[in-house]
Amino acid sequence: MNLWLPKSAAGKRWLGLAPSYFIIGIFMLVPMVIMGVFSFLEPNPYGGVKPVGSLAAYVKLFFEYDLEDNLVFNPGYINIIFRSFQLSFGATLLCLVFGFPVAYYITLQPENRRNFYIYLITIPFWTNLLIRTFAWIIILGRGGVIETPLLAAGIIEDSLRMMYTDGAIAIGLTYSYLPLMVLPIYASLEKLDFRLLEAASDLYASRLEVMTKVVIPLCKPGIIAGCILVFIPCLGAFIAPNLLGGGKNLMLGSLVQFQFASARNWPFGAALSMLLLSAVVIMLIFYARAASKRASMEGSD
Amino acid sequence: MIAAIDIRGVTKVYNPTSNQPVKALDNVSLTINDNEFFTLLGPSGCGKTTLLRLIAGFEQVSGGAIMLFDEEIVNLEPNQRPINTVFQHYALFPHMTVADNVAFGLERLRKPRSEIDATVERVLNLVKMKELGDRRPNQLSGGQQQRVALARALAPSPKVLLLDEPLSALDLKLRQAMREELKQLQKETGITFVFVTHDQEEALAMSDRIAVMSNGEVQQIGGPTDIYEHPVNRFVADFIGDTNFLDGEIVSFNDDLVTCRIGAQSMFEAENSGGHSIGDKVTLFLRPEKITLSAPDQASNVKTRPGKVANIVYLGNQTAYTLDMGDGIELTAQARPREDGKLPFAMGDSLAVGFSARALRVLAQ
Repeated sequence: MNLWLPKSAAGKRWLGLAPSYFIIGIFMLVPMVIMGVFSFLEPNPYGGVKPVGSLAAYVKLFFEYDLEDNLVFNPGYINIIFRSFQLSFGATLLCLVFGFPVAYYITLQPENRRNFYIYLITIPFWTNLLIRTFAWIIILGRGGVIETPLLAAGIIEDSLRMMYTDGAIAIGLTYSYLPLMVLPIYASLEKLDFRLLEAASDLYASRLEVMTKVVIPLCKPGIIAGCILVFIPCLGAFIAPNLLGGGKNLMLGSLVQFQFASARNWPFGAALSMLLLSAVVIMLIFYARAASKRASMEGSD
Repeated sequence: MIAAIDIRGVTKVYNPTSNQPVKALDNVSLTINDNEFFTLLGPSGCGKTTLLRLIAGFEQVSGGAIMLFDEEIVNLEPNQRPINTVFQHYALFPHMTVADNVAFGLERLRKPRSEIDATVERVLNLVKMKELGDRRPNQLSGGQQQRVALARALAPSPKVLLLDEPLSALDLKLRQAMREELKQLQKETGITFVFVTHDQEEALAMSDRIAVMSNGEVQQIGGPTDIYEHPVNRFVADFIGDTNFLDGEIVSFNDDLVTCRIGAQSMFEAENSGGHSIGDKVTLFLRPEKITLSAPDQASNVKTRPGKVANIVYLGNQTAYTLDMGDGIELTAQARPREDGKLPFAMGDSLAVGFSARALRVLAQ
């Protein structure tokens, strides 16, 4: 009976995993391969690609043609990439600075109230990110919520010009991805044995030392997970940079979006995505290596 | 002599503002001498751990004072008190090696590196863990973790060492071995040990003095023999060891002995502890090991009463016999097994039950 079912344990395991393989294949691998292929084709001026092989998209990342058709180095896109990393790093740092105390505070609450606070953290996800980012224009913008009372009180005389700056982008990114920092840190803090904190203070550790010597080292996996979860989407973000950066301070995400939607240069957009993808993968490999090295050092848990 | 720790009228109420405040300690006063192995003994919920946590500084007193060598410490943070704790579940830092765990307190005290290294080695040596300094806590057995926890608490040379049921997670053999070691360690280091336990045997075996606690109050303070032989009330007599209780009424007394009527007409004589009058309702207590059992024909010259074996509990090195003494009175006694390993008496045997009046004591009700 059931002759078509695999008999070996490995075969059964494969059968059980098949749906996940299928989902990952269809929704992740195939689109990525399409992107990879597109990046080596020529753009079709009306959108899409022409089936002609070309390295032009990758050349365009670093070079441009001057008026006499000579290939010259163009740092423009490299600068955008560099700025993207800088802003994402800054936003990740801000998320950590604000997110850690929030997660710690929630952990200290009685158990029945913790779930309620976690629920509050997730509420912003119920509203469209675009709308929430527009709200920041009202807060930061000229004649906005921050400026108006300060102007009225005579504390400032002119607009603070907070909008359309890197600072505004960083605030927007921090706001967007803060929950992604809070949740993994909370998850690791929740598992923390709080008796260790008593042991540390019993052994003459000040409050600060209890934090730096015991709490932070023990919830490092949560902190790292939170940083990865914030940093990577920040790199690819385009809503906050477009709305709060005013489009003149481009980030990688908005550049990619621009190539596909407006500039009609799909291969270049695909090449930028590939560059972003490889940067992220390289960073994750470094992290995985460091983590496994640490795990082997600390012995099997 | 200055007391190591002087607890003066300490009260602790949890959730004082809620509608269900819990009084964990009620006006507790006791003095712990320097260089003493002092035990807080009591059932769970008696307040012994709360008292320990108040001394360590993890909880704030609701009233009263705690003096450490004549210095008020209730307003100090735990890290400002020269007191270290061995926690019930060890609470070793999982991300540090054994040596780093032991060095933790010394590092926080900003001791020079050379001194830290020397102390860590000395203390690990003291608890016989020198070879395992590079291990992580999760690579150690329970007994080894226990030793590391001890070493970590001893390393900063605290004025007082608090031990919160440190042996409760170990198996019996290891627990007995660790008792000896702890006692030895206390003598060697000369540090005052305050030991919390619910195990009366542990308390009797190790302590210089014991405070028996119940319901947030100290019931009795004294040496192991005081507590065992002269319990001040029924709770203490019942909590420490096995005991027969006989409830009755005093019918007469002289300077040495009181005579009590137990049951309908059985008369028992007991040591006169003073302050009794005829008609007082009292409880007599009698330790099972003070009762001698013999076959009726072999009875010695000690005054005996007839009893019948009603139940037998075999315990290996001895056997517990429940004896029906008639008049609704039951006594528990102990007998050693015979040399051939057989039980000396069988169910239903009629025995001569002997005990001296000096073994019976009157307890306050």
